[in-house]
This record gives sequence, structure tokens and C-alpha cells, in this order.
Amino acid sequence: MAMKLRAPGWYRATAFVGLGVLFALGLTSAVRAASGLDPVIAGEAWLLVGLIAVPLFFLVGIGCFDYWFRWAAGKPTVPEDHSSHGAHSWRDYFRVNTDHKVIGIQYVVTSFFFLFIGGAVAMIMRAELAQPGTQIVDGQTFNGLFSVHAALLIFLFIIPVFAGLANYVIPLMIGAPDMAFPRLNALSFWMLPVAGTMMVASFLVGPFASGWTAYAPLSTTQPIGQMFFTIGVQFAGASSIATALNFLVTIITMRAPGLSFFRLPLLVWANFSTSLLVVIATPFIAASQFFVLLDYGLGFNFFSASRNGDVLMYQHVFWFYSHPAVYIMMLPGFGIVSEILAVKARKPIFGYRMMAFSLLAIVVLGFTVWAHHMFVSGMQDWIRVPMMVTTAIIAVPTGIKIFSWLATLWRGVLHIDTPMLFALGFLTMFTLGGISGVALAMLPFVIHVSDSYFIVAHIHYVLFGGSLFTVYAGVYYWFPKMTGRMYDETLGKVHFWVTFIMFNVTFAPMHLVGIEGMPRRVSDYPEQFASWNLAISVASIFLGLSTLIFVYNMVSSWVGGPKATANPWRALTLEWQVSSPPPIFNFDAVPTVVGGPYEYGVPGAVHGVFPDPDKDGADAAKQQPATTPSVAQ
Amino acid sequence: MEAASAAQGALVHDEHHGPPPANRSSAVEPQMLGMLLFIISEVMVFGAFFAAYFFIRIVGGAEWPAQGTELPVAIAGVNTAILLSSSLTLHWALVSVRAGNRAGLKAGILLTTLLGATFLFIQINEYVHLGFAAQDHAQGTIFFGLTGLHGAHVLIGLVLLIMVTVRSFRGHFSEKSHWGLEVPGIYWHFVDVMWIIVYTTIYIL
Ligand SMILES: [Cu+2]
Repeated sequence: MAMKLRAPGWYRATAFVGLGVLFALGLTSAVRAASGLDPVIAGEAWLLVGLIAVPLFFLVGIGCFDYWFRWAAGKPTVPEDHSSHGAHSWRDYFRVNTDHKVIGIQYVVTSFFFLFIGGAVAMIMRAELAQPGTQIVDGQTFNGLFSVHAALLIFLFIIPVFAGLANYVIPLMIGAPDMAFPRLNALSFWMLPVAGTMMVASFLVGPFASGWTAYAPLSTTQPIGQMFFTIGVQFAGASSIATALNFLVTIITMRAPGLSFFRLPLLVWANFSTSLLVVIATPFIAASQFFVLLDYGLGFNFFSASRNGDVLMYQHVFWFYSHPAVYIMMLPGFGIVSEILAVKARKPIFGYRMMAFSLLAIVVLGFTVWAHHMFVSGMQDWIRVPMMVTTAIIAVPTGIKIFSWLATLWRGVLHIDTPMLFALGFLTMFTLGGISGVALAMLPFVIHVSDSYFIVAHIHYVLFGGSLFTVYAGVYYWFPKMTGRMYDETLGKVHFWVTFIMFNVTFAPMHLVGIEGMPRRVSDYPEQFASWNLAISVASIFLGLSTLIFVYNMVSSWVGGPKATANPWRALTLEWQVSSPPPIFNFDAVPTVVGGPYEYGVPGAVHGVFPDPDKDGADAAKQQPATTPSVAQ
Repeated sequence: MEAASAAQGALVHDEHHGPPPANRSSAVEPQMLGMLLFIISEVMVFGAFFAAYFFIRIVGGAEWPAQGTELPVAIAGVNTAILLSSSLTLHWALVSVRAGNRAGLKAGILLTTLLGATFLFIQINEYVHLGFAAQDHAQGTIFFGLTGLHGAHVLIGLVLLIMVTVRSFRGHFSEKSHWGLEVPGIYWHFVDVMWIIVYTTIYIL
């Protein structure tokens, strides 16, 4: 038992969680006693400090920091310590692991877990909205439901699931054995379940109810459940900054010989751009939540108007992150679709360089449009028109991508299987969402539909029809590589068609009721919207059920699907040139890249060349494992 | 459910052999690049706090300075000098280790840590004797917000410096291998430069 408590793992983590609870109690009581507050033991203060301390204790207990503690104390460490590398049984997925392939799968499965919770929460909301009046939940609970729904799906699903897919694929695509900082990678992952558990746990004390935007001063005056969001977002944000930094360093310093930036697959470009956005923008949401936390917990006055605080400042800081965040939630999907369309149309991607440059243009322009979320907030009038113009302009690089994808399909030999169906579904649905987005940039229109269901329709066309479709496309596409098994094609197609049709029946009518004036984020509505809402609720049930097909397909195929070959899609990119699943260190010897990644249909085209394993060079590489520059000096 | 990634790899490969050395596609040291990117995101955190500062002071048009918020500009100026000199001693430590002078390394890194701790001590002392609190008004809030954020960074920097000190005294680092000193060092220089901006904005402007 003592051994188990000393070694990293769940026993020690449990013990440390207990220590964290006691630490929070001790700290708050000591501070309260020292400053003469009564009572000395205050439940809310204890809980608030616990929300910060317990996760940190948990991360130490589970073993995220062991190596660094040894390093910091100057004890001998082995820089190339791969003891926590690779997975030998399903149990290894529940341990701290430094293998990017294991971490990638941990990310994807965890994110999908939170997708299902967020989706179930949406089902309850639609049940309440099936009829006017109050049937199942009261107003404050409903506010909690839509807040948790949005927070989970944004911070615990879309952003991390893309990070997970990229985690698995990118080192393989660029010919690297792992990420640049494998231990940081593991820490990034383990902060996610912490953040997600915290957000779900808010239901124990009454969920946070100020939306995923958590506008101050509403958020600084809500019950304690609000803090589960404020602090949970900090962990999710720290996780995504650390991962982004890891991706940038990996892509810049660990590409295979010959793999210049303009030979990179577009998925790598997309995640490079996304990571730039994350590193630059995410600190702003962290700061905005620090402000709320300080106002809430310590009585600071960032947002108390009576003491010269500035309420609108919250929205500026928040949206300076959260507009770029919509591209954080979109650009990796652009990358996935670029891979799939080229492979499945058997054609080089049209306008490769413009595709890459338009990603960078989006990164830059993304920082110039944030106040378009504040057109009705009462901010200074003169900001409105410049923001309207920049918002219209940012549609141009996205339009370039849409047309390039269409041109890629043009006269291609289309293989319409499940990943391709989802990619095509993305193309159509995202275009619709983009068009309503450009409409929403227009001041006269947006003032009319602000805070209506039109906004709900727009965001779901972009994030569900856009992002989630690309996630499905990516999961189906790389499933054979990740698991070594093939998924069931028929079930995949059924999944697509049910999702595609029910998605449209659910969200298209929301445009109409929105323009007619039905407000979002309200549990009740006038009689005139009753029939549309009933139709939406019925369709949403089928939309929810369609995910069960997906889950069944994934689980049963992973357990007993037919074995996958190394390259079932006949793709050129490097990850398909190794076995499925790949060897523990990806490559026996680093390949050399001699051409572009998308030369489909070009006679004799080669992307990567692998050294002959029988030759001496490869053997020498095998026997000298630790010649990489040491990570820990 | 089969272990996805390793099942095959484990059969083919010896468990204890490491990965093939990754190709180095850039002359930049990965750790240094990582630290620079981290500093970019830190700069953005400060950017958000400065945004709050200027929103409260200029957009909100609050009375400035608020009554009873006279700041000890001179003492903080001395403190600034202390923090800046710690950057010099840190550089001396780096120059020493490059020249193989271990005594210089130890003295430089120890001096840097002590100067940083002194800065933090004077800062806390200033907080105690200031006469206004963050709870009084937004002017106080943003003063404590910005200087407190910087103080937290000094604390992180100090923790890093203590690690480096421990490692220096335990015989780590040499002429050829001193990234473990240089990377935390660049963070410390960032904390110093950031203080100049915070000091200028809050105490002088
Ligand atoms: Cu926006």
C-alpha cells in the first residue's frame, strides 16, 4: 500500500486530492483567523480555494510533475526517459503517458465523453422548449443548462478534440518521433478532465448560469456555481496554451529533412496557424476570468460601476480572445478537410499556397473584428462601422478556401465514403453558416436579430455543421491509423445521413423563428413559435440518437473490426507510410521528403522516401537512441 | 480493446531502445523557442491588464489619481534599480559559466536570487504601508491588479532561479551545456523589462 501511495497513479492522486481539500481548509481558515473574520471556517471560501488547489494537488498526485521535481532538485534524470511511452493495455490510457499517440487518443476519447454530456444537456433543453411555458426545469436551471452546454462543447470538446487529432497525426506527418515536449504534452492533457469535471460538478451546487460568455457584472454576482466556470476555464486555457506552444516548437524544429514549409500538409499549416492564435489570444480570456475571480472572491472593483469599474471592459477583453477562438475552433477543421478532399478526389489540392496564406490572413484579421459581438452593448458608436468592414473582409480568405476546395473536387475521381461524406457535408453546411455570418456582420441586420435564435442557428451551422462535421470526418479518416482496425462503412454512411438531415431539420428553422423575434437563452416563449419549436425538438432527438450509431461503430470496430492495412486510402502523407497503428517511436529512421504532399494523379510522384532498413545508416540510428539534444540540462 | 499504439510496436522493437534522433529543421534551440512563445503569451496577459488599466483610467474617465492614492515613487524607483541590477548579475553568471568559471556562476546566480527576493520584500512592504486597498475603488483595484500580476511573475521567476541555484551548487552546467541556465534566465529578463513598463505606467504617467 505504501508503495502504491508513493508511485504516481490513482492511489496517490486520491490521497493528494484529500490533502488538497485539507490544504484549502487550512489556508482559508488561517487567513480568516489572521484578518479577524468570523466564522473562521467559511464553506464558500473553502470551496473557492479548493477549486484552485485540489486540481493542482491531483495533477501532482497522478504524476504529471515527478520528472520535473527530480530535475529541479538537481537529482540525476535521464533526459530520454521513455518509461511512460506507449500503451500496452487499456489501463495505460488512464495513466500519465508521454507518447503523443497515446495522448492523442486520450484527448479524442475524453473530448467525445464531454460532447455526449453536453449533448445530453442540450436534449433536456429541447425537451423544455418543446412547448411554451415551464414543464421540466425552471428558469435558473435552464440558464445553467445552456451555460454548461456551451462551455463544455467549446472548451472541452471542439478545442481539445482538434488538439487531440493533431497530437496524434502531426508528429507522424512531419516525420518526428514525438512532440518537442512530451511531458508538457501529458500535463496539457491531464488538465482537461480536471476542467471538464469541474464544469459538470457545478451541478452539485447549482450550475453556473451566465452563459459561456459569463458577462460581468452578472458573473460576479451569481451564486458560487459560477466559479466552477471561472476556474475551470483557466485549466482548459492553460492546457490549450501549453499544447499550442508544443505544436509550434514541434513544427518549427522537428520537420523531416526536405520538408520545407511549402511541402507541409495543410493540416500542419492549419494547426500552426491555430497555435499562433492560441498563444496570442488565450491569455486574454485567462485575464478576463482573473478579473471576475478577483471581483468575486476578494471584492476587487474591476466591474463595479459604482466604484469607477468598467463593465464593458469585460466584453472587450473577453471577445478579444473569443473572436479569434472561433478560428481556433475552425482552422484545424479546414486542415482535416484539405487532407480528405485531396485524397478522396485523387487530385492535388487546388491553390496550395493560397490555402496556406489564407490561413495566415485569418490569423491576422481575426484580431481586428472582436467588437462585432458588441454592436448592441452600448459601446462607442464610432467602433461599429470599422468592425463591420473588417468582419466583412475576413470572409474573403475563408471564401478563397471554399473555392479552392471546390476546384479540388472539379473533375476529380470522387471516392464518396464516410470521411468524404462528412467533408462534403462540412463544405455545404459551413458555407451556409458563413453566409449567415456575413449577413450578421451588417449593422442594420444584426441590430434586428441580436440575441435571437438567428444567432443560435448561425453558431450551430458553423460549429456543428462546420467544426463537428470535420471532427467526424477526421475521426473516420484516421481511425484505421489510430486503432489498426477498419470501421464499418455502412454504419458510417447511415450515421452521416441521419446526422446531416436531422441537423438541418433542427437548426434551419431557427433562422426563421429568430428573424421573427424569438429570443435565445430563454426557457419560455410566445405561443406563435410553438409549432416550429416542437418540430425542432423532435428532430433534435433523432440528431442526438444519431451519435449512438457513431459510438457503436467506433467501439465495435475498435474491438473487433477487420485489420487495417498501412495505407487504406492510398494517401501520400507520411503518417500513412508506416504500419497501422504506427511503431512505438513512429519511424525506425527519419524519412526524407522529396516532393509535395498532394501529388495525386501525378505519375511517379513521391512525397517521402524511407531509408532502407537493411542498410547501415538505419541500424546506426537504431542503436544510438540518446543522441538528440538533451531535454534536461 | 487493444492497446492501439503499442501492440505492434512492442513486438517488433526492443522495449528500451529510444526513438531515432529527430531531424533538427531549425537552428533555434527548442527549449529557447518554447520559452519565447511562453513569454509572448505572458506579454498578452499583461496586455489584458494594461487594457483594463486604460479602460478604467481613460475610457471610464475615473478621477486620477484617486484621493489618497499617492504612490511612493522614489522607493519604488530604488526597488526598480534593485530588480534591474539582478539582470546584470544574472548575465554575469551566464558569462561565467560560458568561460568555465564555476565560482562566478554560483555567486552570480545566488546574488540574482537574493536581489529578486529583496525586490519582492520591498514590494510587499509597500503594499502594507500604502493606505488604500483594492476593495476601495477601481483605481486601487488596477494598481494592485497590475503590480500583483507582476509580483506573481517575480515569484515564478524566483522559483525558477532557486532551481537553477540548487542545480548550480550541485555541479550542473558547464561551458558547453547551460541551456538550463539560459532559458530560465530569459524569463527573468522578461520579468525585469515588464517591470519597467509597469513602473512607468503606474508610478510616472
Ligand atoms: Cu466574432
